[in-house]
Amino acid sequence: MEKVYEIYIKTTPEKLWDALTNPDLRSKYNFGVRVESDWTPGSRYEGKSPGAPMLLLEGENVEVDKPRKLVQTFRALWSDAAKKEGTSRVTWEITPIADSCKLTVTHDQLRDNASAELYGGHMMVLSGLKTFLETGQKLTTPGSLMYT
Amino acid sequence: MDAMDAVFKALADPSRRKLLDALYKHDGQTLSALERRLPMTRFGVMKHLRVLEAAHLVITRRNGREKLHFLNAVPIRLIHDRWVSKYSVPFAAALAEIKHQLEET
Repeated sequence: MEKVYEIYIKTTPEKLWDALTNPDLRSKYNFGVRVESDWTPGSRYEGKSPGAPMLLLEGENVEVDKPRKLVQTFRALWSDAAKKEGTSRVTWEITPIADSCKLTVTHDQLRDNASAELYGGHMMVLSGLKTFLETGQKLTTPGSLMYT
Repeated sequence: MDAMDAVFKALADPSRRKLLDALYKHDGQTLSALERRLPMTRFGVMKHLRVLEAAHLVITRRNGREKLHFLNAVPIRLIHDRWVSKYSVPFAAALAEIKHQLEET
C-alpha cells in the first residue's frame, strides 16, 4: 500500500531540510517528537520526546541528498498495534517552485490495509511544518504536540 | 485563485466529494477504476479530477503505463487547523469541563 502527501510551503529547500533534520525544530511541529540522527546515508535515526518514556519511531536513512531528497525506512514504536505493522518506507522530496517549495511525502511498502495510525499523522505534521516555517508559530490544534 | 479558495470550491461539489471518498477507501486508482466505481461518465470523472488536482486534493503518479490517483488530505487538514479547530476547540474544552464536573459529583 502506498500513501502520498503534498504541501506547498513558502521557504527555501535549505530551510525546509533544516526543519526536517534539526531535532529542536522538528519537535515544534511533529507531535513534539525530536528526530535525531547524523543524517549520513545508511545511518540510523530515532524519534523520541522528553514527554514519552519509550522510543517513538526509528529507522535508517537509505538515501540522503541534501536538500532535495531523503529516503528512510520507518518503524513505528509508539503502540503495540503500530509495532505490529513492521517496517515501511518514507520518502521526502523537496522541489523548489518560484518562491516556495513543494514537499512530497510518499509512505509506501505499507502492508495492505495497514493501520491509519501509521500514516495518518503525516498531514498533521505537514500542516504544522507549513505554519512553523511561514509564521514561526506552533499549531494549537489539540493533539498536534501530544508528546511534548 | 487563492489555494484555500480552490479547495473550498473543489469540495463544494457532491460528485467531487464522492471521488475523494472513493480514493479514501481505495487509494491509488486509475481513471477506469474510478469510472467503474462511480455513477459518472468517463468525461465527468476526468473533469472533476482536474478540479481536484488543481486544488491539490488529488495527486497523480505514473506506474508503468498506468496513471494512479491518490488522495492528498493535507489541504483539508490546513482548513481544519485554520478554521475548524479555532471554533470547535473552546466548545470541546467546555464539554470536557462538564464531564469532569459530573464525574466528581
